[in-house]
Amino acid sequence: MRSFRNPPWFTRSVVRACALAALVVPAVVMPPGAFPAAPTATALYLDRTVSIERTLDDPTDLWVLQEVLTELTGFVLKPEGACLDELCIPVDQGPGSEVVLRRGEETWFSLTGFARRVGQSFVADHEQRVWSFAPVPAARSSFVDQAYAPDFVLPDRQGKPVRLSDFRGKKVLLVTWASW
Amino acid sequence: MHEELKGRNFELVAVAQDTGGEAAAGPFYDAAKATFTALVDPRHTVSALFHLVNVPSAVMIDEEGRIVRLDEGTYTRTYSAGNLTYGTDAYVPALRDWVEKGSTSSVAKDPDEVAAALPRRSREQDLADAHFRLGVYFQLAGDEGRATRHWEEAQRLHPESWNYHRQDWSFTPEQAGPNWLRKVQAQGDKPYYAPMDLPEAPADEPPR
Repeated sequence: MRSFRNPPWFTRSVVRACALAALVVPAVVMPPGAFPAAPTATALYLDRTVSIERTLDDPTDLWVLQEVLTELTGFVLKPEGACLDELCIPVDQGPGSEVVLRRGEETWFSLTGFARRVGQSFVADHEQRVWSFAPVPAARSSFVDQAYAPDFVLPDRQGKPVRLSDFRGKKVLLVTWASW
Repeated sequence: MHEELKGRNFELVAVAQDTGGEAAAGPFYDAAKATFTALVDPRHTVSALFHLVNVPSAVMIDEEGRIVRLDEGTYTRTYSAGNLTYGTDAYVPALRDWVEKGSTSSVAKDPDEVAAALPRRSREQDLADAHFRLGVYFQLAGDEGRATRHWEEAQRLHPESWNYHRQDWSFTPEQAGPNWLRKVQAQGDKPYYAPMDLPEAPADEPPR
């Protein structure tokens, strides 16, 4: 029976070579800005469900390209912060930021880091890699402070998107109901 | 009602809070011969955005997009089922009055007053919303185990939301009635729908 306690020299050499390669190869073969493939994810926000093709391999936070932030929440990353219409929430964009990371041409945004920063509730199913985010509290201030109707887009029966603010200039009675 | 009012710069926008979407809500829209704007909202987005916890609820929104009333239990008349009565005959005349007179109607509140009276959302209630939508995601994906787990968590975190309970119960119709009755009885004196505080006689002349 072969013992593996003292592996033959070639095995030891292969192990050492692999360990060395693991340290060296990514820096050598991958261009700056590229990351090892990380699993895809899904994010939910209001009525939106967004499939995220690229994330960073981070065990705690959900990093997405800045375009995904906009697709999911409407917020746009600008020099002054994460902005939705008139509202701009300052975020640290310097080195060491927990929300914004720049690598080469790409700008990554931590949806979960931002959520913690602005007091936004979220929950994740890590096995299925689905994150569900509650509304951003600051984005509700025109509603809770001034009673402006929060805008939304929902499909009609034919699937055509209808936006509440399309009816601006008319009186609207918005009625919720259910079949149950 | 919509036919009567739609020529007066008015739109009725109905939103079905149904995870089943068009398949669940469509037959009701057909039966109502809907000529109004009929939307489907499987993730209960409108309830989350407007802090609504039950259906039917109704929001009167003026021409500038500001809310002048937000009410629960907005049926078109009074209904009774057994010894339970619900709804009111006062809502439709109130709506007519507002459509006709706008901000001078005694039905319309000052939006600042509406804002001050809006229920605030706690972190737990927001988290409940996130769990509820995760449950809808899994339900649509056919993963009932996960859907149930997240819906139960939503109900635990935000027990005042009838929408979460009633949507969940709708998947076990034979238990929905008893579940509902038990929870209503557990409320004691607390009303099922928040009282509507409509003006006594909103229309000082009969509707035309």
